Amino acid sequence: MTALFKTRLQRHLREMAKYLRLVFNDFFVFALLFLLGGLGYGYSNMLKTLKAGYWWAPVVALLVLVIVAQIGRLATLIEDADRVFLLPKERAMHAYLVAARRYSQGLAQAMQIVAVFLLAPFMSVTMHWTVLSLVALGVAQIVLKDALLRLDLASAYQVTGQTRMNHWAIKWGVSLIVLAAGLWTLPWVAIILALVLDVAVAGWFAQHWQKQQIRWREQIKIEDNRMLGIYRFFNMFTEVPMLSGTIKRRRYLDGLYRLIKPSHDHLYLYLFSRGMVRGSEFSGLVVRLTVIGMLLLYFVRGEWLPVVLAALFIYLIGFQLLPFFQQYDDVVFTHVYPVLPAQRLKSFVTLVTLILGVAAGLLWLVVVVANPHVVTAGVTLLVEVVEVWYLARIYTPQRLTRSAENRG
Amino acid sequence: MCMALEVSHVVGGYSQIPVLKDISFDVKDGELVGLIGLNGAGKSTTINHIIGLLTPHKGTITLNGVTIQQDSQAYKQQIAYIPETPVLYQELTLREHLEVTMMAYDLDHDQAWKTAHKLLKTFRLDNKLDWFPANFSKGMKQKVMIVCAFLTQAKLFIIDEPFLGLDPLAVNDLLQLIEDRKRKGASILMSTHVLDTAQRYCDRFVLLHNGQVKTEGTLSELQAALPEAGESLNDIYLSMTKVDRA
Repeated sequence: MTALFKTRLQRHLREMAKYLRLVFNDFFVFALLFLLGGLGYGYSNMLKTLKAGYWWAPVVALLVLVIVAQIGRLATLIEDADRVFLLPKERAMHAYLVAARRYSQGLAQAMQIVAVFLLAPFMSVTMHWTVLSLVALGVAQIVLKDALLRLDLASAYQVTGQTRMNHWAIKWGVSLIVLAAGLWTLPWVAIILALVLDVAVAGWFAQHWQKQQIRWREQIKIEDNRMLGIYRFFNMFTEVPMLSGTIKRRRYLDGLYRLIKPSHDHLYLYLFSRGMVRGSEFSGLVVRLTVIGMLLLYFVRGEWLPVVLAALFIYLIGFQLLPFFQQYDDVVFTHVYPVLPAQRLKSFVTLVTLILGVAAGLLWLVVVVANPHVVTAGVTLLVEVVEVWYLARIYTPQRLTRSAENRG
Repeated sequence: MCMALEVSHVVGGYSQIPVLKDISFDVKDGELVGLIGLNGAGKSTTINHIIGLLTPHKGTITLNGVTIQQDSQAYKQQIAYIPETPVLYQELTLREHLEVTMMAYDLDHDQAWKTAHKLLKTFRLDNKLDWFPANFSKGMKQKVMIVCAFLTQAKLFIIDEPFLGLDPLAVNDLLQLIEDRKRKGASILMSTHVLDTAQRYCDRFVLLHNGQVKTEGTLSELQAALPEAGESLNDIYLSMTKVDRA
């Protein structure tokens, strides 16, 4: 079973490496270096303005450490088929899960060390902590994370009946108590508390797991969600084929569709509008990009920069929408229905015009609020209108027709 | 009698290697034809050619005088298709699936909803209109497919293995619907492995084997062609495949 985990882990790491190579391309690394440099510089400047003895300093440290302690989930790499194929091996799965926890530990604890390391200058300035105390705090944080992951492991089994040992209230509460004790008394106290917790959970679990079933469905769901989160992250930089997104009913938006008259010509507008709103994949992308664009535009001042930024974000959104045209290619009825492909394209163009129009309007509003120049607002509006018209009405149909021809 | 569907000398498949080797058969108006064959015999490929997912390398498929190349709209307008594995739009509710079907086939809204409510009641789906059928069980998804197909006024129904996964009551209701549409002059091409049901309900059979039409005809014609095989469709079918295995 440990061997099974090892093969899966290798496959998983290969996949992650593939995506990380795509994410950390030259351009991104360059941008990241600048960002980290800027943040580091800002942090060191801020430290110079701080003195010892603020009452809130330990509170900040506590909050940061408690939040960081929750980072790093149990990566089980369990797959859906396991609940059929590995069910007869349920007892042997223990070795697999223990191996999974050991792997998860490494990454999670590395994060804890980095966090304590980053927090160290702040704490030594504001709280006069010595290096030795900081190291002790780091150890406490590592042991605490070990205990938290043990809670996750124990919850993979039905050891506590219907209640879960890794309920968020338990995890946050335990972290708060342990770290607060460490910050307000001595870090050694935190180490001892975390150790007691770790040993207690380990001992209790060792006694009970043999008689209990694994929560297969729940673990599969948790692992799926974990992978979904990772894929979503990668999806911001590159295309991830495994990502199909989730679907929500969003009943409160039903009113929107009433604007579309259900007629033969509007078939795809009917379909696309619902698919766009209820599927999280594309609507999430549009919302994310619009919100980021609005935030950015709010803080950016200048005569020409807002114009360029607004244009850039509209282009990004419009470009990301293109693959949505093929969303229903897998549904056989897309090809069986007596509807001409031209109608489908026309509906798509309408949809893109609508979405880009709304996004452009929102971005423009922020530009107007943030910049008092009439000229900037006017030019932005003009550029946006031309861009939305060109992207939606000219570029999109051209590009989609060409890609359809290429596919034959 | 008028030919609704005419498949003539079709050679085709998914790639350059043909799966179908010169297939010819027809379905007449008001006729239920059973498409019978082993897994991999070419049933689904044949159906995919008829519904226009695949283009034949050679040969033609005519539906009431129209080919898909001449007028895809007029051709597709006449077909309602029930796939073997239910295919649904993930983001649409049951009500919206029905509306999409009405829009696609340009059906009269009120009239179509009247039919729809009747069908929904028959298949006990009338209280699930606002649910996502994508989360239904397989049998219920299949019922959604049936309701959508029989909502249309199609002249040709193509039904791919309808009986597996349906409860006995639904199988009976489906057969009733087919009977009803037949009487109104629609043609039905149905592929299935459930041979005793096929024997009872189909007017004619097309037996596919290795991408070729092995035999074709009514049950009595098949019995006459293979006198030593046995009485039932099952026996005839088994003997037909045995010849090949020996």
